[in-house]
Amino acid sequence: MSIRTAFDHELQALRDNLLRLGSMVDTAIGRSMQALKERDQALAQQVISDDEKINQLRFKIEEDCVSLIARQQPAAHDLRFIVSIMNIVLDLERMGDHASGNATIALRMEGQPPLKPLIDLPRMAQISQEMLRASLDAFLAENAQEALSITRRDDQVDELYTQIFRELISFMIEDPRTVTRAMYLLFSAHNLERIADRVTNICERVVFLATGQLLEIPSEPESEIGGGG
Amino acid sequence: MDKIKTESLYFYYKSKLALSDVSVSIQHRQITALIGPSGCGKSTFLRCLNRMNDTIPGIRVEGRVLLDGQDIYASGSDVVDLRRRVGMVFQRPNPFPQSIFDNVAFGPRVLGLDRNGNLDSMVEESLRGAALWDDVKDNLGQDALSLSLGQQQRLCIARAIAVKPEVILMDEPCSALDPIATLEIEELMQKLKENFCIVIVTHNMQQAARASDWTGFFWLGELVEFNVTQAIFTRPSQQRTEDYITGRAG
Repeated sequence: MSIRTAFDHELQALRDNLLRLGSMVDTAIGRSMQALKERDQALAQQVISDDEKINQLRFKIEEDCVSLIARQQPAAHDLRFIVSIMNIVLDLERMGDHASGNATIALRMEGQPPLKPLIDLPRMAQISQEMLRASLDAFLAENAQEALSITRRDDQVDELYTQIFRELISFMIEDPRTVTRAMYLLFSAHNLERIADRVTNICERVVFLATGQLLEIPSEPESEIGGGG
Repeated sequence: MDKIKTESLYFYYKSKLALSDVSVSIQHRQITALIGPSGCGKSTFLRCLNRMNDTIPGIRVEGRVLLDGQDIYASGSDVVDLRRRVGMVFQRPNPFPQSIFDNVAFGPRVLGLDRNGNLDSMVEESLRGAALWDDVKDNLGQDALSLSLGQQQRLCIARAIAVKPEVILMDEPCSALDPIATLEIEELMQKLKENFCIVIVTHNMQQAARASDWTGFFWLGELVEFNVTQAIFTRPSQQRTEDYITGRAG
């Protein structure tokens, strides 16, 4: 029986809010891709307006973390937990921004004929979403091994990104009229590639939470067109 | 550098085992904090380091306590010299009912360190070392008990360092002080550690986290974990340490 019940409840609330934020970002990634694929302007608008809620929840969680540090003097696991959450919400909020960026691209592409059927981009989004969910599961389970294995999927995302990049370049070379649309899709792919990179950051925090070790998980092999970090 | 080393130290109050197999190395010019719940043995351990427990009837010590490699419990060991080398500051400030000057001069006089007639400078040096000189330099004849509690505790530290010890043991030195006086003592400890080995027993875990370089966690007479303070408070290796410092046991 813990003698810090009130503190434990606050930590639980922090955990719940983190999962809620993760779920909102997950939804934003999925919806922004759906909006792009199905040319759904209303859905794109919704993703953009929902991003404000993501930002607000991120700040609320951060404020709660600061308050707990000030009032409860957390140490050891409690301290690592709170510090990890402060870092993870930053990554989640930025992932939300990338999703919102893709929704904006969906709006900008309104009225333009499709360049090609979108297959690889939704695949990138899907893998990124799976990685995000798995990283939050690993956080809950405090499973460092699992966190490390998730980051290996980032390579798949990087490969898809390289593939899309090459394909879009060839479109642009063959027909300069496609440049605008191809560039939009390239931005979109870049956003997804960044999202997957940020999942790697979350996984680094899982390792820190579980072991106390701060380590950089390298993304290998290095993407041919950059985008690492 | 090891200043103090204990090897398989056991301590008994009559038949009660108060310390069990404590082996640890305490570094010179560092602050080592000992934490743990009441009755865990941390004060008993501290008092073993200058044989303050010797006066208690029915105690028994096994194992070794080495000060600069010499066993302080070896037969023929000079306890008076030991306590000059290993000074102590207690929970409640306990100045003698004398003037400020006489409090600090007490040790040097008893030990005959004042033979060169440099008592004034020894008192000044000690009061400066305890960050009390500026407060009291114009009132050295004043009754020590008229000082605030925080000043009294710094006076006790000045009295302890007046005999030029090598180690200062502090047994909850801030528990009778307000938060500001507590921080002043902690500041002072940072200054003192340039010259002394400091071992402090504290109930205040934040104090251990703030003020010490090394932390030892005692539990039921055992030294459960000993490590650099940052490691103890961010990633302790033992679950019992974790439970204690996060306030979930003890």
